[in-house]
Amino acid sequence: MAKDISAATLDAVRRPIETAHGLPNAHYVDPDIFELEKQAVLFASWAGLAVASDVPGIGDAKPIEFLGIPLLLVRDRSDRVRVFQNICRHRGMILVSSPRKIEGAIRCPYHSWCYATDGRLVSTPHVGGPGHNRHEAIVQDDLGLIEVRSHIWFDTVFVNIDGEAPPFEEVHADLIARWADFDQPMYHGGADSTFMLPVETNWKLAVENYCESYHLPWVHPGLNSYSRLEDHYNINERGKYSGQGTLVYQQLKGGDGTVFPDFPNIDQKFIDGGEYITLYPNVLMGVQRDQTFIIILEPRSLAHTHEHVHIYYATPGTDDALRRKNCAQWRGVFEEDVFVVEGMQKGRHAPGFDGGRFSPAMDGPTHCFHDWVAGKISDHLRCA
Amino acid sequence: MRVNGLQERLLSAHAADDRAGLVALYAQAADESPDRDAACFFLTHAYVFGLETDHPAVPAIHARLRAEGRI
Repeated sequence: MAKDISAATLDAVRRPIETAHGLPNAHYVDPDIFELEKQAVLFASWAGLAVASDVPGIGDAKPIEFLGIPLLLVRDRSDRVRVFQNICRHRGMILVSSPRKIEGAIRCPYHSWCYATDGRLVSTPHVGGPGHNRHEAIVQDDLGLIEVRSHIWFDTVFVNIDGEAPPFEEVHADLIARWADFDQPMYHGGADSTFMLPVETNWKLAVENYCESYHLPWVHPGLNSYSRLEDHYNINERGKYSGQGTLVYQQLKGGDGTVFPDFPNIDQKFIDGGEYITLYPNVLMGVQRDQTFIIILEPRSLAHTHEHVHIYYATPGTDDALRRKNCAQWRGVFEEDVFVVEGMQKGRHAPGFDGGRFSPAMDGPTHCFHDWVAGKISDHLRCA
Repeated sequence: MRVNGLQERLLSAHAADDRAGLVALYAQAADESPDRDAACFFLTHAYVFGLETDHPAVPAIHARLRAEGRI
């Protein structure tokens, strides 16, 4: 049970890496702890929900269920992407049930209360009786859609469900500064540059696998030819983010030697190499000279996760064939990881597993993530 | 509403999810209503479907409802 998580358990995770243990099995197989982590980790931080490119046009709306909460992603009339709870303030009816363009107002299909795309309640038909559309008890200014705190960075729509996290720019100031070179226009590659991988694993295992380079030569042998293990470095920013970088990035080439255009004015280290970082809790990101990618981990349930992959380029209108080839290559790499994250999930049912140990040399990024999760849980339990 | 085919056309528009058509048909129903309350009832429907579809008739419908103190 969640309430039985002992301080000693969390302390063991937060010890120096040489003696630390990983999060124990219950954090992967116990529904009560999944519920606890929902509140303590996913709702209390800035979680990735979607990409702004999901709603490219004014009025585009996409319903998204996030950990059981019905949400609505909307691009409003002023071109601002917003997230609302997808319910009418009247009787709690779901407002939008499938992706569509809102031509004018969002009309509740039940009693036809209408909302502007910026959330304002603009019409309450017959609320004062037939043909009477006002009632003094129903103050429209007080009954707009419930907006969820959101922030967009790298085209990713982050949400803070509990509304209590410090501002995104404050929480992630270091990473924003680290990747300031990429604070410039980037273009979603479109329908052939996105895909979803369903994986039978707890979302945290997908983070853990992504963070480290230790597994690369074994799970991704194809990388050995141009990006050897010794070309990689760990990124350990305790309490903030973690991942890995490579000193050697080889651009994909088309049959005629075509490459994707570079992002302009980036540092030489991003010309030579790339970096792959998890923005805690659930967004896996990669930056390279000619492309970036985002993987939003959608925790569907305790042991089921959807990985939503989106690839971006420095210019619109990249070469179609090369773009498709690139997407297929990334899909292949990410699919190579599926048996690992699913295998670890199955392994978490072995009663003898104690959370495991970390290689002090190689597993720093994974330990960094465990430490952050344990810290969030400690904070939550302390405040409960 | 007079039973002159308008009701059938309204039902058909609902069945076809023809929201722009509903704006016009409900406005017509309002125009043909024998009293203010019935007219405002139908005008409200025209207004709602107009809001939903960003219909060009919305300002005029809004003005009529406002003049009747219904909005």
